[in-house]
Amino acid sequence: MFGQLFIKECRQTLKSLIFWLIVLGLLLNFSTQLGNMEIMDAPVKGQEEYGYHTSTDREVIMESTLGALAEEYCRENYATYPIGFYKNVTLNKKEINRIEEILEETTGLSGMEEIEKAIDGWYAKGELETEQRTGRLMLKPEEGLTYERFIELMDEVDDILGGGSKYGEGHRDKNAQVPMTYEEALEEYQFLIKNDRLTGGYARLFSDYMVIFLSILPVFLAVTRSLRDRRAKIQELIYTRRASSVVVVSSRYFAMLAMLAVSVLALSVIPLMQCVKYGSVAGVSVDIFAFVKYTFGWLMPSVMITLSVGMFLTELTDTAVAVLVQGAWWFVSIFGGVNSLKGGMYGWNLAPRHNTELNWKGYHDGFSQLAANRIFYAALSVALLAFTVFIYSQKRKGRLVFRGKILADRKNKFKV
Amino acid sequence: MSTAIKIRNLNQYYGKKQALKNVNLTVKTGMFGLLGRNGAGKTTLMKVLATLVPKSEGDISVCGRNVERAQTVRKIVGYLPQDFSMYPNMTVYEAMDYLGVLSGLNKRQRKERIPKLLKRVNLQDDSSKKVKALSGGMKRRLGIAQAILHDPKVLIVDEPTAGLDPEERVRFRNLLCEIAENRIVILSTHIVGDIEATCENIAVLDEGEIIYKGTVTDLISMAEGKVYSAEISKRELEDLKGKFTVTSMLTMGNNVMVRFLADKQPFASAKPCGPGAEDAYMYLMQTKGGGISCLDSYL
Amino acid sequence: MERYWQIEKINLKYNVPLHILVCAVILGLSPFLVGVANLEKQDTAKVLEMYTALIGIVMLTPIFLPEQSKEIRELTGSKYMKSSSVYLLRFIGNSLILAVFLIIYTIILRQNHCVFPVVCYFLGTYAEMLFMGGLGIFSYGLCDNLVAGYMLPLFYYIIAMGSGDKFLKLFYPFSMAAGSYTEKYVLAIAGSLLAAGGIILRCRRK
Repeated sequence: MFGQLFIKECRQTLKSLIFWLIVLGLLLNFSTQLGNMEIMDAPVKGQEEYGYHTSTDREVIMESTLGALAEEYCRENYATYPIGFYKNVTLNKKEINRIEEILEETTGLSGMEEIEKAIDGWYAKGELETEQRTGRLMLKPEEGLTYERFIELMDEVDDILGGGSKYGEGHRDKNAQVPMTYEEALEEYQFLIKNDRLTGGYARLFSDYMVIFLSILPVFLAVTRSLRDRRAKIQELIYTRRASSVVVVSSRYFAMLAMLAVSVLALSVIPLMQCVKYGSVAGVSVDIFAFVKYTFGWLMPSVMITLSVGMFLTELTDTAVAVLVQGAWWFVSIFGGVNSLKGGMYGWNLAPRHNTELNWKGYHDGFSQLAANRIFYAALSVALLAFTVFIYSQKRKGRLVFRGKILADRKNKFKV
Repeated sequence: MSTAIKIRNLNQYYGKKQALKNVNLTVKTGMFGLLGRNGAGKTTLMKVLATLVPKSEGDISVCGRNVERAQTVRKIVGYLPQDFSMYPNMTVYEAMDYLGVLSGLNKRQRKERIPKLLKRVNLQDDSSKKVKALSGGMKRRLGIAQAILHDPKVLIVDEPTAGLDPEERVRFRNLLCEIAENRIVILSTHIVGDIEATCENIAVLDEGEIIYKGTVTDLISMAEGKVYSAEISKRELEDLKGKFTVTSMLTMGNNVMVRFLADKQPFASAKPCGPGAEDAYMYLMQTKGGGISCLDSYL
Repeated sequence: MERYWQIEKINLKYNVPLHILVCAVILGLSPFLVGVANLEKQDTAKVLEMYTALIGIVMLTPIFLPEQSKEIRELTGSKYMKSSSVYLLRFIGNSLILAVFLIIYTIILRQNHCVFPVVCYFLGTYAEMLFMGGLGIFSYGLCDNLVAGYMLPLFYYIIAMGSGDKFLKLFYPFSMAAGSYTEKYVLAIAGSLLAAGGIILRCRRK
């Protein structure tokens, strides 16, 4: 029974206007973002610059982070980005005093005057004379300051500022932006060619662009599918059929998932072909299945959770409130991810970003976090699906009707 | 100003399908019945008259107003669709008030008419009830009240009695008759009984064509001498059904009392009898319509 | 006039309260999500254009919703007052509600020591709201599907975020942050046209 229903639901999905709008959106997204994707060539010696990367040198991290803190302390206001939007923080007397203490402990400079003098001194020397050209103010840490103590204190500063500051975990490393050398750039490139076999890097870039859309659009599909019965006034007709609630609900879920997966895979053929073409000329043995792996491993968990949030909330409330909920979650995730665009810091973001074909190392180091993230959302999705089945079966039995009715009377109004 | 609806050479197309074929009709004050099986084109004709669907070809004037000028026609037409439905959250009074505004009534007119009309349809005690809490019959009555709220010259009612219990049905018919005293009421139905009880003039539509227009009495007289009844055994029934159109039957033990149509007395035991509207309708469909495939549904 | 007011009154009582609530929640959450105090000109523009303007989609798109059911649409369609007038009225009414929201919001920003040209930013943000709402109305009218109505402006928003002004050119919604207002005229005009187009499409659908 599941198989037949699944096929029927797939057909329904294919006939749905919303589905084709999503496909159109993905296509549009693809062509504006990746339409003229060019496969990267190896860096050549003697180039003017090879881009920047974040240094892992603890000394550099400490110097640049302390420099930033000193500067903001003098300005008396602090920039934070709690979800990617700029937020200005000013502190009260007690908090200012604490920052002062921390600066003294970490840099040995006490009081506004001394710090201002140090900053002026640094700028007077000129950026070029410093060892590492970060383009930002750097302050030498107090002798004997351990990295562990430094981290402890910076976490405290981040707390005082309410999170999302330059001093919190994940952010302070990024203060240490240093230019790449030819050797470093070559190493990055080698990672792309050898470890990623070209396709891995581009599949990640593809996933990065697609995940933005795929963590919001499927909710529209799920909501319309769940509301369609209501709109067509055939809920009761379906309720009285033999098919179990598990079969009814899961066939819808898997059909939508399958149809979306197929469209993403179809789209991925284009960059795959580019990689294959480049690879055959440059002698790189590409991984034909890289895009498939990334589609299922990286993208589908986002699609799954988005679909099940849509189905669950729609079944529960008979409204389109899921669009609002998912929209809010998506908004926070996307703007929250702005600080970790280049990959490596995937955290628990609904839409993990990796906006470069490079940074294999970041991917490699963050892989276990990414895997945990993706498995968690896939599992959460299945759990929500189970709840949906439960609610569906209760409604079928005429339970929850009171609630169903109360919310149902506002049908379709609660939409965003 | 003319008080009649005049339809000249109306053709209506939905893509390639022709829903109405060369319809000519004049409807005067009083109840007018539009009869025909499902899909005959009744609803299409009514929607054209209610300016919900633009006409494809032909001329229609509603009380002297060209149907193409929708705004002027809507002023004098009230419409009760087959599936009357109203914003479920509104109260009965609010729904009436809102629709009154849409019909172009000012505040004074609405305040004056709504209570009167609610009383007339026996909903005066339900005016603060929500629409979704009304029963089927009450909803239909609200429907008729809203349709005559702006005192239209023409009232168009599509399948009004479908789904009503017998008591509500009779009350509803009577209500329509009262309303029809000084205006045109066009009523479409596939239930012959409704028409017989209320309308003097009727038209019968079949596959988009008018196959009869005139009075109910004339329709009945057409079937004069064509209706017979006989008591036959159950075994003979199949045979009879194959040869003649059976309009009703009543089982009595092993025998069946059948009423059927025939041009002349088919066998000795068949007794001629006076036709009713239902017999006449069946006769009409048999002779002029496209067959009687829906027969069973009328039995 | 009384009649128009009556229609708007019903709209206020039945159709928009929930949307007003949603907008209020969205704006009420902004101190937690985005900065609303001591912002520079450019950052204020960012908040207004990328966050506040989103309520335009919420408020304007669902103007056809009360008559979503075909039966109700037929009934109201047979009335003297044109459906298009009712929709237009709702559009204007909801636009005014948006304006009220935006006025309150800009006053709060101002009170919180954000530095920005109040009138210019108000009009610029309002133009973007109209455009996103107009886009919603248009796709709702075109597809006869509210969800599709919400999707199109959201597409637009994401594309604007992703590819910036190089793809959208004069239709780029976040131009104020870069100090350009030309786009806002285009958005205001295009938004009104789209809304009108959506209403026409909707009225033609029987």
